[in-house]
Amino acid sequence: MSRFSQPDAGQQVAGPTPRNRGIGMLIITAYGIFAISSFARALYQIVVHFEDSPVAYLLSAFAAAVYILATVALARRGHTAWLVALVAVLVEMAGVIGIGLWTVLDPELFNEATVWSHFGQGYGYIPLILPFVGLFWLLRHRTVQ
Amino acid sequence: MTAMFIIGTVICAASALICWVMTAVRRHPADSAIISLAVIELYLFAYAGYAAVRQSGGASVVGEVWEFWGYVLTALILPIGVFIWAVIDKTRWSNLVMSFVGLVVFVMVYRLEEIWWGSAL
Repeated sequence: MSRFSQPDAGQQVAGPTPRNRGIGMLIITAYGIFAISSFARALYQIVVHFEDSPVAYLLSAFAAAVYILATVALARRGHTAWLVALVAVLVEMAGVIGIGLWTVLDPELFNEATVWSHFGQGYGYIPLILPFVGLFWLLRHRTVQ
Repeated sequence: MTAMFIIGTVICAASALICWVMTAVRRHPADSAIISLAVIELYLFAYAGYAAVRQSGGASVVGEVWEFWGYVLTALILPIGVFIWAVIDKTRWSNLVMSFVGLVVFVMVYRLEEIWWGSAL
């Protein structure tokens, strides 16, 4: 009874643990680590080597932005954050699959690696697994408007 | 394989292991898990200090100096950031969150060794 009398309990459907607590903390940590490391990498690439491979480096920056957005949206409660997180995770999924395929079919295109090249091979394929985990988590923890 | 790399590997592995065991046996962030993150942070300071002394003495790294210090800086932020995030909600999962530091710092030290010496092994 006490659980349901708490003010924010009505926002979550899937159970007593909110989306950004418990195991959700782990998923957000993984996203946060990717957000920080891909941001640092993109910053270094763009500041030091931008002329070498502008397409790949802009893509690195885009990937970093998606990870940062996903991290923040996953960590926040509420319906808007849920929607933003869903979009970010879907863009991330499209990015890692699209860029992964592209780099396999046409390796000449990106002469410099990004976090999504070859389905995230350079990062132990975690970039490929992460959006599926994120999507599963979001669908398990839907919010009511 | 350098002594610094071996020490780093042992510290990171021990930290991840402690954090996993504590996830199973504690329902709150364990002191041992937090201390293991502090040890990783200390190790990273030692690693950075060692690299700074060597490089200011004229020794070069195989890869790029910029990239090297970028990795060092990111690695130094990691234990602190993850610790703050892990203790926001003090549950057994805090320990599992903290176990990420050992895994990620190991990979980063591996990359640092590659940049420094050309190969980590």
